[in-house]
Amino acid sequence: MMRTDQEPEQRSEWASDRLLWQRSRHIDVPEDEAARFLDLAAFADGLLDAEEGERVAALLAADPDAAADVQAVRSTTCLDHGPRELERVVTRALAILPEAASPAGRVIAFVPRPGRRLLQHVAQWGSIAAAIAMASWLGFSMGSDTSLALSTPRQSSESALPDLFDPANGFLRDLGEGLRT
Amino acid sequence: MAQTSGLEELLRGERGAWDSFVRRYAGLIVAAVRGIARDTGEIEDLTQEVFLRMCKEDFRLLRSFDPTRAGLSTWITIVARSTARDAMRRHRPVSIPIEAVPEGRLAIDPVEPVRTLKLPDALLSPRQREILTMLYDREMEVFEVAAALGIDPQTVRSAHHKAMIKLRAHFKSEVE
Repeated sequence: MMRTDQEPEQRSEWASDRLLWQRSRHIDVPEDEAARFLDLAAFADGLLDAEEGERVAALLAADPDAAADVQAVRSTTCLDHGPRELERVVTRALAILPEAASPAGRVIAFVPRPGRRLLQHVAQWGSIAAAIAMASWLGFSMGSDTSLALSTPRQSSESALPDLFDPANGFLRDLGEGLRT
Repeated sequence: MAQTSGLEELLRGERGAWDSFVRRYAGLIVAAVRGIARDTGEIEDLTQEVFLRMCKEDFRLLRSFDPTRAGLSTWITIVARSTARDAMRRHRPVSIPIEAVPEGRLAIDPVEPVRTLKLPDALLSPRQREILTMLYDREMEVFEVAAALGIDPQTVRSAHHKAMIKLRAHFKSEVE
């Protein structure tokens, strides 16, 4: 009804502002305590402008405790407490170690455990030694089988070639004989 | 501001600044807490609670203090009284006979309840809320609002402008 005299741009801005206002009325916000303390302190010191002063005054009207706090600022004067009591309070407060005063974190690199390294070395060298011993024994066994096969006179029908190319037969035979004895 | 000298050093975590802060404001905090509690032992405990709250989470509360908005002594007095009152409520035994309490109210909230406000109540002054209600809910013209409130139309525009800045800032920060 009323906005017909406005430019299209103004109408659109009016509509979006109206939407924002209507939306805000359905939103609950948690009270920001830090902001509230500052508001009350600024109000007590008379440092708010008229609009802000009205807003905080409305909050105070609904919160008698906050109103009492603001009132108390004017009447609170620094201590008529006994010096011994105050010293006790100070001593306790000084004992609070602020978190920020703690030393900065330091990264400590892990050192590999010596036992584990030794085990690796033993395994490495042990496997090499076992491989050499196995190869030596196998070579010796093959060599002695071959020389035995060549030095023994054979009948013409028997061929030394299978033994020469398949030392396993000789090797197995030797083992069999060993077991029988 | 001379009153806030040493605050930066304190927020940087310098131990000496904490000592100076404690010595300088202990008397004021004790005086503020005395307005809430009477017993000497209780006053000492509550004062300690105020100091603990100030340096909790890397001085989170102290960091929120803005010297351009209020004096440090005023702010400390407000914080001390509020902290002491909250602590007293937490520690005070319930003096109502259990039979007199409806069963539904005996349930314990799993988390400490946080007080909530309607967004316009938290952000805007009563005058700003009234002006926005007239402009957007009753669809009144600016000059009609001015006449109804007995103020200048320019004041209406100014109040509307400031109110919308606050609302937009709130929604913008929410989106971010």
